[in-house]
Amino acid sequence: MITHFITNVTTRFNPFSAGAKSARLFLTSLPPSARANGMSIVTELLPRTSTAASTLRVKFKDGKELNLDCENLGIKSIVEEVDRHSRALQKQADIDG
Amino acid sequence: MPPRIRCLTARGLGSAVNASRIPSRSAALLVSSTSTTSSTPRHYATAVAIKSGLTLPADYVPPTRPPTARPADVRKAQLLRTYTSLLRSTPLMLIFQHNNLTATEWAAVRRELRVAMASVPLQGAEPIDFTSNISLQVIRTRIFDVALKVVEFFDPSKVRPTMARTISGSRAPVTYNHDLSKAAYEAVKEATKGDSAQLASTSYGQLAPLLVGPIAILTFPIVSPAHLAAAMSILAPSPPAFPPPSRKRTPNYYEPVAQSGLQKLLLIGGRIEGKVFDLDGVKWVGGIEHGLEGLRAQLVRMLQSAGLGLTSTLEGAGKSLWLTMESRRSMMEEAEKGPEAALEAAVKVEKKEG
Repeated sequence: MITHFITNVTTRFNPFSAGAKSARLFLTSLPPSARANGMSIVTELLPRTSTAASTLRVKFKDGKELNLDCENLGIKSIVEEVDRHSRALQKQADIDG
Repeated sequence: MPPRIRCLTARGLGSAVNASRIPSRSAALLVSSTSTTSSTPRHYATAVAIKSGLTLPADYVPPTRPPTARPADVRKAQLLRTYTSLLRSTPLMLIFQHNNLTATEWAAVRRELRVAMASVPLQGAEPIDFTSNISLQVIRTRIFDVALKVVEFFDPSKVRPTMARTISGSRAPVTYNHDLSKAAYEAVKEATKGDSAQLASTSYGQLAPLLVGPIAILTFPIVSPAHLAAAMSILAPSPPAFPPPSRKRTPNYYEPVAQSGLQKLLLIGGRIEGKVFDLDGVKWVGGIEHGLEGLRAQLVRMLQSAGLGLTSTLEGAGKSLWLTMESRRSMMEEAEKGPEAALEAAVKVEKKEG
């Protein structure tokens, strides 16, 4: 996953629900130095009885904000969505030199 | 020249057969050369070898299952045994998700945890120092999941003994009830094949959604809310109840390596005395003051006060009944004496009061 165009990651999930899986796996796919390189990662845990859907918001350097539906998307689809925009940013960065 | 006995180093099935044949042939040669002079009857070692059949050497290894190169303590079978014994012995376990901690960060986190655990005062009449047995370890999630199932659904005491053939050929009852046994596998299979609603009501069913991705567990050998609170304030500080240690007293805690490691640890749940708790539940257990002793004292105090209330209530009913009866009796006595006597009595009372 291309992570160096991501500036903010905000997740909110109930770990006891099956829908939290992809949000949790997304957190694990961020590199160890993510916070040191200026990415802000905010995780909010919902109580066990909560039935609220888990959310994942990813903000990029160009200001675009992705609001991903973790309940229905698997981790592969989420990574694909994030990479789709990251690749465009990468291309732009390569052109600019 | 005596016959040469080849030294066999290869360990395969073929070599195993040769090993049993070649020495016997040479032995036969030896026996035949000596038996011409002796009076003992001819005795062919080859015949003996055929009669006893082929026996594989003790260190025989099938060529299709070569010995594993993996170290013993991380083999799946051994891991499963380790995890089941851990789950059976630990009453208090916190489950963390770890997001790409580096080795130095792990070292820093464990160091801070050790320091915090050592500073917690031990309680009880005969305090036992168990802080060295509090460990934060990364687990193999899938095998841990299987171990949880084995611990929950498999009861070794219910396994029937099976008949097994011994070396001497007789049959003897043997009980195979270890965690890697077929009985354990079947018990787990039976329990997990049912409907998901029934499974969700079990302790395993509640804990299973947590076991996704990289997981680390913090295990305590006993339920000690004081130690739990100290561990929470290090690993998952939440200021009002579990504040992080002060910067002045523990500067190491605020090192960038330790802090970045702690930011990547996420407390997602706990298993306390076989029950599953979420973050709030774990905080509640950590918030019990003075440990189990404190909880018992609270209970005793509550029961005592309840008893006191009960006796006074019961007493009160009897007392009021006695008072009513007594006043009624005095009234009736006065009525018997007649109105004059009653008047006199009233005057007497007034005098007394005056």
